[in-house]
Amino acid sequence: MKVAFPYFGYDTIALKNFLEMLGAEVVLPPLPTERTLSLGTKYSPELICLPFKITLGNFIEALEAGADTLFMAAGARKCRFGYYHFIQETILKQIDNNVDFYPISQYTPFEFIFQKMPKIFSVSPARVMKSINFLLAHSRLIENFRKLVRQARVIDFTLASIHEKHALEIIADAINLMQIRKARKEIKALFNFADDLPENIIKVGLVGEIYLMLEPFANHDIEKELGKMGVLVLNNRSLYRHIKHLLHIDFDRIKLNHRAYKYLKESPGGEALNTVGEARTFIKNGVDGIIHIFPFTCMPENIALEALQKMSDDYSVPILSLSIDEHTSKIGLLTRLEAFIDILKRVKNQKAVSRVPRSSLLTPH
Amino acid sequence: MEAYLGIDVGSISTKGVVLSKDYKVIASAYHRTQGKPVEAIKGLLKELQNQSNHTKIIGAGTTGSARRLAGVMLGADIVKNEIIAHAVASSYYYPDVRTIIEVGGQDSKIIILRDGIPIDFAMNNVCAAGTGSFLEHQATRLGIPIEEFGKYALNAKFGVTIAGRCTVFAESDMVHKAQMGITTEDIIRGLCDAIVRNYLNTVAKGKDIKPLILFQGGVAANIGVKTAFERALEQQVVIPENFLVMGAIGAAMLAQEYINDSKITKFAGFETANTKFITKAFECKDCPNSCEVIETFRQDQIIDRYGDRCGKWSEEVK
Repeated sequence: MKVAFPYFGYDTIALKNFLEMLGAEVVLPPLPTERTLSLGTKYSPELICLPFKITLGNFIEALEAGADTLFMAAGARKCRFGYYHFIQETILKQIDNNVDFYPISQYTPFEFIFQKMPKIFSVSPARVMKSINFLLAHSRLIENFRKLVRQARVIDFTLASIHEKHALEIIADAINLMQIRKARKEIKALFNFADDLPENIIKVGLVGEIYLMLEPFANHDIEKELGKMGVLVLNNRSLYRHIKHLLHIDFDRIKLNHRAYKYLKESPGGEALNTVGEARTFIKNGVDGIIHIFPFTCMPENIALEALQKMSDDYSVPILSLSIDEHTSKIGLLTRLEAFIDILKRVKNQKAVSRVPRSSLLTPH
Repeated sequence: MEAYLGIDVGSISTKGVVLSKDYKVIASAYHRTQGKPVEAIKGLLKELQNQSNHTKIIGAGTTGSARRLAGVMLGADIVKNEIIAHAVASSYYYPDVRTIIEVGGQDSKIIILRDGIPIDFAMNNVCAAGTGSFLEHQATRLGIPIEEFGKYALNAKFGVTIAGRCTVFAESDMVHKAQMGITTEDIIRGLCDAIVRNYLNTVAKGKDIKPLILFQGGVAANIGVKTAFERALEQQVVIPENFLVMGAIGAAMLAQEYINDSKITKFAGFETANTKFITKAFECKDCPNSCEVIETFRQDQIIDRYGDRCGKWSEEVK
């Protein structure tokens, strides 16, 4: 049994190690490229959202790499993601009739621990729970690493890129809790040059649909591009938090839903409520702007967009909305990002000199 | 006399100005890009040089969709996006401006300013209906010179409704209306209304449009669209004196801000117009991304390379 699953940003390593702990032989498809996307697009319904196309492309490339058992997350409450696996299974069975396709329902943790996983891998529920414990620790390590690397990029982009590669090797090699503890210290030491950030730095909060926030191929490496411009990106979404949420132990969620309540009273599906709550938290903590990224035709995030626009007016914090599909050009995206960051800089400068009479602001000095 | 140079290379037209230190336009020029930005920039430089004798360029900035290419060719000190360029120029000439409507050849944008500072913007995302090239195409189809196009709308008795969502559908709607016997004037007015409706419902959606409203970019030359905006917004819309070259003026102002009387310009001089530039593109086959890498050569010497995701080609030149 050769197991494969779609890429999920940096957290792919954690999922791979998790499955290996259960005794699976994991085949990682090649990193997503233009080929992945065009393969996925070729077999997808035309107007389906971008994550469907990329993950389907991942599956096809995984089959080419010799995988025979595919895992896909399922269930998302009122969002198309919940139906991905039905269509993907149909499409993949047409490509390769012998493939085993397992949808993993996100919202039934007990079924997952006591029935599904023990049956597929013939292991005890205790071993599944042990592996989940490890997955939590590992994805927490990755969340921590992502936070450090985002800070490091602001200080020295080249050095951060070099250390990033090194840190990813350390993370991949950590296969038990002891090694994870050691890895955390090593990674912290790698990025200690960025412990102190300058005060007047531009801070941007990233919110939106979880796949686009976490998978660099899907979001055109937005975190790196912003880092290159010297902007500190805040991104509170991660696999770690998501798993905690699914196990009902993410207590921050309740707070976020409370914060969202003023603008969005009920979840329209997907991650929209979370998006609104996070955006408001970022604004309260003093970011200079919010970037909202989501797949073109995404229903829940389009509803969140309306709420965010109202929030933007109330708090006068600029919000940039980016709806991404396979036709999005990177150059167009960069123009928008660059313009947005320039605007944030100018607003910030104006706040800093707001006591100076306006006439002197008009002449560049 | 010392002055700054600003160049704005758009999809349809290439604009340039020479700006004195106190922001007076010494020379300005307008060329068709016609798909050959290198030639357009050269032509522009010659014209600017002829208009501005005895000026010394102490800073240069570029903007527009070919800003990068133009920046590399000229040795520009600053390469900036159109949004900031337009905002900077407009808020200098009109300190009270709070909304800028900019409709260019292939994109349209809205910039919201408060107290002279840009605070928000939006660009057309997935569709180019209602931009300059669409209008130009329709003008050619109807056999009307683009300069006259807007005046036809003013002579209309009533405006018919044209579907403005999509260029292709708008065109078939126009054909249909013409075949029903509606006059060209009425159809053109309907088209101007459709463009404005499309703009306000997509690009400007959710934006707080407050006076003073400036309308600039190539399409601002079209009086029909201007009156359509005034009808839809029920407010006066002002077209700045230099509406065509506002982006270029902004680029020159940004160059001045960057030079700040202390740095020395990298500007290669007006002689650039006589230098040979070649741009080439090739597809990198090293990974399945197949990036299209674009190279620029000056006199057979490579000066710039971009377009690769991984950065291995572009870093080689730096």
